[in-house]
Amino acid sequence: MNTRLAVVKTVLWALVGVLAAVTVARFLRGLGASTALSDAAPWGLWIAFDVMSGVALAAGGFVLAATVYIFGGQQYRHFVRPAILTALLGYIAVAVGLLYDLGLPWHIWHPIIYPQYHSVLFEVAMCVMLYLTVLSLEFAPVVLEHRWLDRPLFRAIHRLLHGAVIPLVIAGIVLSTLHQSSLGSLFLITPYRLHPLWYSPSIWILFLVSAVALGLMMVTAESLFSGWLFGHKIKVDQLAGLGRAASVVLFVYAFLRLAAAREHIDLAFNGSWLGLLFLVELSVSALIPATLLLFRRVRTSIAGLAACAGMTILGMIGYRFNVCIVAFKRPEGTSYFPSWMELAVSLGIVAGGTLVFIFFVEKLKVYPEEHAGEPDTPSGGIAKADYHPGSMWSMSPDSLSGPRRYSLAAVLAAAVTAAFLAADVFSGTHSPGTPVSAARTLDGWIQDRGDGVGAGQVVWTRRKLSPAAPGHDASPVVLLAIDGNRDGRLVLFPHDRHKVLLGEQDSCDKCHHQNMPFDKNTSCCECHRDMYTLADIFDHDFHIDKCRGNAGCIECHERENQAKWKDRDTARACVECHQDMTVEGSLIEPPPPEKRKGIAAGYMNAMHELCVDCHRQKVTESPQQYGSDFAECANCHRDADAALFHQMKCRAASGGDTYSREPKQ
Amino acid sequence: MTTPYAILTDTTLCIGCEECVKACKNENDLTKDVPRRWKRHIDDLSSTRYTTIVRCPEDQKDHFVRQQCRHCLDPACVSACLVGALQQPEDSKGQPIGPVIYDKDRCMGCRYCMMACPFGIPRYDWEKLVPEVRKCDMCYARLFDDNGQLIEGMQPACVEACSKKATIFGPREELLAKARRRIENDPDKKLYGEFEVGGTSVLYLSDISLDFLSFDQELQEEKLPDLTLAALSKVPPLAAGVAGVMAGAWWIIGRRMKLAEETRQEPSESAQSSEKNKEK
Repeated sequence: MNTRLAVVKTVLWALVGVLAAVTVARFLRGLGASTALSDAAPWGLWIAFDVMSGVALAAGGFVLAATVYIFGGQQYRHFVRPAILTALLGYIAVAVGLLYDLGLPWHIWHPIIYPQYHSVLFEVAMCVMLYLTVLSLEFAPVVLEHRWLDRPLFRAIHRLLHGAVIPLVIAGIVLSTLHQSSLGSLFLITPYRLHPLWYSPSIWILFLVSAVALGLMMVTAESLFSGWLFGHKIKVDQLAGLGRAASVVLFVYAFLRLAAAREHIDLAFNGSWLGLLFLVELSVSALIPATLLLFRRVRTSIAGLAACAGMTILGMIGYRFNVCIVAFKRPEGTSYFPSWMELAVSLGIVAGGTLVFIFFVEKLKVYPEEHAGEPDTPSGGIAKADYHPGSMWSMSPDSLSGPRRYSLAAVLAAAVTAAFLAADVFSGTHSPGTPVSAARTLDGWIQDRGDGVGAGQVVWTRRKLSPAAPGHDASPVVLLAIDGNRDGRLVLFPHDRHKVLLGEQDSCDKCHHQNMPFDKNTSCCECHRDMYTLADIFDHDFHIDKCRGNAGCIECHERENQAKWKDRDTARACVECHQDMTVEGSLIEPPPPEKRKGIAAGYMNAMHELCVDCHRQKVTESPQQYGSDFAECANCHRDADAALFHQMKCRAASGGDTYSREPKQ
Repeated sequence: MTTPYAILTDTTLCIGCEECVKACKNENDLTKDVPRRWKRHIDDLSSTRYTTIVRCPEDQKDHFVRQQCRHCLDPACVSACLVGALQQPEDSKGQPIGPVIYDKDRCMGCRYCMMACPFGIPRYDWEKLVPEVRKCDMCYARLFDDNGQLIEGMQPACVEACSKKATIFGPREELLAKARRRIENDPDKKLYGEFEVGGTSVLYLSDISLDFLSFDQELQEEKLPDLTLAALSKVPPLAAGVAGVMAGAWWIIGRRMKLAEETRQEPSESAQSSEKNKEK
């Protein structure tokens, strides 16, 4: 048994296990819970790597088919089968990756029935779909050679496909040319968002040429990898030939790339980090490997080939990442970095593809000359485990080899991943919430507006700050600075004045519409605990204690309702016990008692509902007294107050003199 | 000529009361705004907010700018969508009537529209398992009948809600004329949307630069769909050309190799066997 192969397979199976767990998360809870995508970055790792780079990495199939079948490069014939297989698996991986990325993956076939011919993406979709078919037909003969399929019907199909190989190869080349270039054309429509060093009207040529170079280097990499993995003899002479071709194509690419960016080339040297990125990307993807491959010593050494192939592959993937994500303009202050689940899916799909590749290499004649003269050996089954009655263990010496080991690796990896899945995956994405802080108090004065309107206008100030403030000779009043989420956009609320206008001591109820037990004026923020969303204000544990533990469930969850779930909906309303909790005659129009079960509205909505409705009513009742703008936003939300308040960095506390001026720096 | 219809927003009149936002939410049955990982600010455009009031970051004069879908006359999103989920309805004369609308039953969720929009308007239901692209549709269902005719006296919800008449609705030509008159009275104002990316159906009058709404770029007059159309029109000749070149190369190279083979074989083998080869 090849240990190296066994280790690689175990690792790949583990990655597939991780993929399995993350797949559940993705399709159970959606894109928001599993990815770092956002409205600012609608395309992320799955498009940039799985789709854009995946298609380009699979370009080896059409490049090699063209070299061998069209241009008569017979010495490269033995690279064709693995290249076609890599391409086929690569395109299947693209399709699988798309299923993860699409918001509605079950509509993936819609381009067929709702074609929109003006979309570049439509052309890409159609070409990929057709090319996948062509690749399957190109690879089918390898499958049909298997001894299990040695039947007249399959032999006939094999002959048919063998005869159609040239048309298939030409169709493959045409389709590949079209969609490899069109993946670049996708970005023609984004001149304002793609950085000028990457945007160019000829971006589609760059995508095509880079895909050809990438195809050649992928065949090299894949040949080196399988040589290392399976112990095949590496054909350095032929790889050197591919390397020389790649060098030429890479130089062409670099030239075209620089020509495309020539008008904005100064941006590359102005010290901005995108300029630096452009230079690094171009060097790693094309200039360095192309130059190195010029030397015969590099071309004919395995290490040299591996380094060049590695650089090109990394660099060209980087090119696609930069176009899709890094050099693509997002709103100021937003960023995208893939979540670990996105990474796991991308890696898992590659691992799965590699496993299928290994499977085909092991079972079919993907490398025909390696099988020459080899007898067909039946694959080894799983050895029956020995049962040891003493230890109650069922172990055999090889029980952790082969399929068992791989299953274990996959299952363990899936289990560990499931344990690490974020809480979002089980509960769905949730809002992080915006806790509300209590209003702060300050001294202030109330200034008459001077237009005879009685309600007046609030000013607030500090004696020391502006001794000549209007009305400074009057005694100060206490103002509440209402700023629930502490974003500085506050409302100054003259509490005592409202008390006077609404009817002194009897008026508390009008706003404090529900109180905590034994309280008369519970603050708004004690129940309306979140700025924007509903808050749960019911303390279940406390009530369990009060109702004598489990025996007390029926106090709220009544017997008549036992058939149903014991939940909030079937429980008794709070007011049935807490008769003093709600207050009669408040300005708040409460929901019916049976609906009031410990859910409080968001702070902002609660405040607006209370204040705005009453202000509107006052304006309609007596506009002369209150002024026509009494119910308008700016009547209370005065940004001038907020700015001053901000400047002074008022600190939360109770009592009158609670703020202090920060020393100017 | 009445079509296309348009909305004109005058940023110098807007007081930022957000009544339009409220009306839009009511009209489209949108849920409350909740802070999310993919929302920078609670009052950004989002899947629950098709229009919102934003402020220019470097604005000294304290302007309120109502952000919404521009309903371009040549929309990038419509040309980008590969299944035609984003559409530009036309009247009986084949003239676009203004709004750009969305058909959720066609959408496959590729989000290319979000990449293509020069204003970055479309939003996505990231939290949902059956997500949709979300954006303003100019109250299409409410304004227009099945033939694309404006129902008499109807206005988009946001326009109806605006007490300051800062945002108004009408035929695009009329609004352009109105805007030009206002510019004559106040030459500081500039009109946005008449020519940008081929013209939009949501026009702005502003005395500050509104480039911050389009990724800090001054938009040119070029229609974005034309950029891809130029490439797409090359597809059929490119396909035919590649196919022809490949077939030709195969035939010529194959023929030359065969001849080379034959000349190599002739001295050693008899004429009979080469004929047999040909038959094969």
